[in-house]
Amino acid sequence: MPLFAVGLSHRTAPVEVRESADFARAGLETALRALAARGLGPEGVVLSTCNRAEVYLVADSEHAAEPIGQFFSDYHRIERSTLSRHLYCHRGVEAARHLFRVAAGLDSLVVGEPQILGQVKAAYAAAQQQQATGAVTHRLFHAALTTGKRVRSETGVGDGAVSVSYAAIGLARKILGNLEGLNVLILGAGEMAKLTGVHLSTHGVRPVTIVSRTLPAAEVLAKQLGGRAAPWADLEAALADADILVTATGAAETVLSRTRIAEVMRLRRHRSLFIIDIAVPRDVEPDAGKLEQVFLYNIDDLQGIVRENLTRRSTELARAEAIVTEEVARFASWLQSREILPTVVALRQRFEAIRLAELERLAPKLSGLTPEARARLEDVTRLIVEKLLLEPTQQLKSVSDDSLVVSYADALNRLFNLTDEEKREAERRTPGSTVRRP
Amino acid sequence: MHLVPLVLYAAAAAAYMTHFAWRDPRTGRLATSILGGGVLAHTFLIGMQTMQAGHAPLVGTTAAISAFVWVFGLSYLYVELTTEERAMGVFVAVLLVALYIIPALDPTVTPRPPVLQSPLFTIHIVSVLFAYASFALAFVLGVTYVLLFNELKAKHLGFFYSRLPSLQVLDVMNARVVTIGWLLLTVGLSTGAIWASQLDGSLDPRAQAMSLGDPKIFVAVLSWGVYSFALLARRTIGWSGRRAAWLSAAAFVLVLLNFVPVGYFLTRSHNF
Repeated sequence: MPLFAVGLSHRTAPVEVRESADFARAGLETALRALAARGLGPEGVVLSTCNRAEVYLVADSEHAAEPIGQFFSDYHRIERSTLSRHLYCHRGVEAARHLFRVAAGLDSLVVGEPQILGQVKAAYAAAQQQQATGAVTHRLFHAALTTGKRVRSETGVGDGAVSVSYAAIGLARKILGNLEGLNVLILGAGEMAKLTGVHLSTHGVRPVTIVSRTLPAAEVLAKQLGGRAAPWADLEAALADADILVTATGAAETVLSRTRIAEVMRLRRHRSLFIIDIAVPRDVEPDAGKLEQVFLYNIDDLQGIVRENLTRRSTELARAEAIVTEEVARFASWLQSREILPTVVALRQRFEAIRLAELERLAPKLSGLTPEARARLEDVTRLIVEKLLLEPTQQLKSVSDDSLVVSYADALNRLFNLTDEEKREAERRTPGSTVRRP
Repeated sequence: MHLVPLVLYAAAAAAYMTHFAWRDPRTGRLATSILGGGVLAHTFLIGMQTMQAGHAPLVGTTAAISAFVWVFGLSYLYVELTTEERAMGVFVAVLLVALYIIPALDPTVTPRPPVLQSPLFTIHIVSVLFAYASFALAFVLGVTYVLLFNELKAKHLGFFYSRLPSLQVLDVMNARVVTIGWLLLTVGLSTGAIWASQLDGSLDPRAQAMSLGDPKIFVAVLSWGVYSFALLARRTIGWSGRRAAWLSAAAFVLVLLNFVPVGYFLTRSHNF
């Protein structure tokens, strides 16, 4: 039974199409039920993130790509012709490779972003709840999660912030540890000050104090951020309390000189102070960064860090792809041994049936034999069958080419005239194979 | 048998290095297990020596170094397992290997002279050893603090930035282990002093050399003074962060000097 991955992502579809093809809107359960209602195959998983919509299906037919595309079109009410330009379809091992790359964050808009792993997990859990999963999807998604985790822990693909605001948060964590309960002082009440304040408070940095030359402006911002405003005259005390200082005034000249900061550091007994100077021109005299336990970063420094991180991430890509290839190979060999298994089992059953029939036919002639001789005969015939089957079975299992396996199995089916009935029977008896849902 | 811990410590150091470089969690767990194995083998060795000699092998500088390595390894494992922070392991394991070379080369157990037959001796040496192990941890924490600090100041976030815990955590842990070490050293030095005063009538030349004028005792008291200053300065004049890190790193160099060169060549009071 072939495995398909059909979908669209930021790589193939513009945002309008992605928006209208969002499975999460009506809930994954609804989508899964609608997919199951199509009766395309026994196992199906729907993956939905803000940048992708995908269906993973273990199909009954080799030609399931088209009906899955039709499902996309019908379910999202998008013109089939419009949609087909944006849909991609991967089959078999390539479908697995695609999912593994997705789970590893290699196919994401921001390479290495960590959310995708959770989304892949959620997609599988939702399908499991709808009883839409089976042996293949189980193995596929677990291998995908393993790949994602390995890439995250063994490579630096997800390392380092790739936006200025995250770089600032990362730095704050490295310098000050846990951000909760730290005092933030924002100097200035403009748009940049507000953006930074919002970003910091979403990361749990609280309480926020805002100091501005115009107190009313500071009060407005303080209300929005749930912090407090302080008059310019209280700057000294506010600086002594702060752990993180964000300066974003529109002043044309330096607001805080090195001597001023040095004075403040004495007041705060040299407790570490992280200064983020996002003002242009700069608010803090650059030399202040040389003071003991003062960590001064301006906007260019932060951008420099982001650039370095992006370069580092891209050099880690090759290692991540190697892990994906390794996991794909592992999955492929499992998939292949699984595909060949019904044929092997059917073949064995056929041989065994012949052996039993021949013994049956000879039963009258053998009746004169002693029980020992009969047992020996039984053993010898069984051994002949085993030996005849050993070499071809091993050869089959060692074939590494996916399409070759199919043609070998096909040849065996034809040569020995193995019926589908026999294979289904064999499949039913094989542990770990797909159990059809009623 | 005495080489088994050395081999395991070296293997642990290699595993910690690999883990530090590539950050593969499996290698990290492997490193912890190997170090655990090393400490275990070392425990057996010390146990065997105790059985053979009839007393714990704590007599003489070589034995003390061996015991120190054991205590340090054990303390580090405790810290690692309670904080789940493995980044320090590479520094600790390298230090363990370097120090363990000495006892590995000379595994003979010195018989205990009558002058050391006192429970105070055991309290003295055990608390001093644990104090030194704490200071060794503080040393590692101090060195890593400075490494990370320099990266943050230089604004090129790289190797250590992505591998070490935050400055704040390193600083807090440093303060904690220095405090513990200082308390233990205080206990160790006072029991030593009490015990030495009880030996006043002894004819053993070493007992007669027990005074502040002896290099080993002098440097020990000096390092106690340095650590006292470190704790005091942290509380009063804000010597936390990099200054505290440097101080704890430098003070441990003093401890090591006292342990190895002074212990072997200069002391007249502690040359058992």
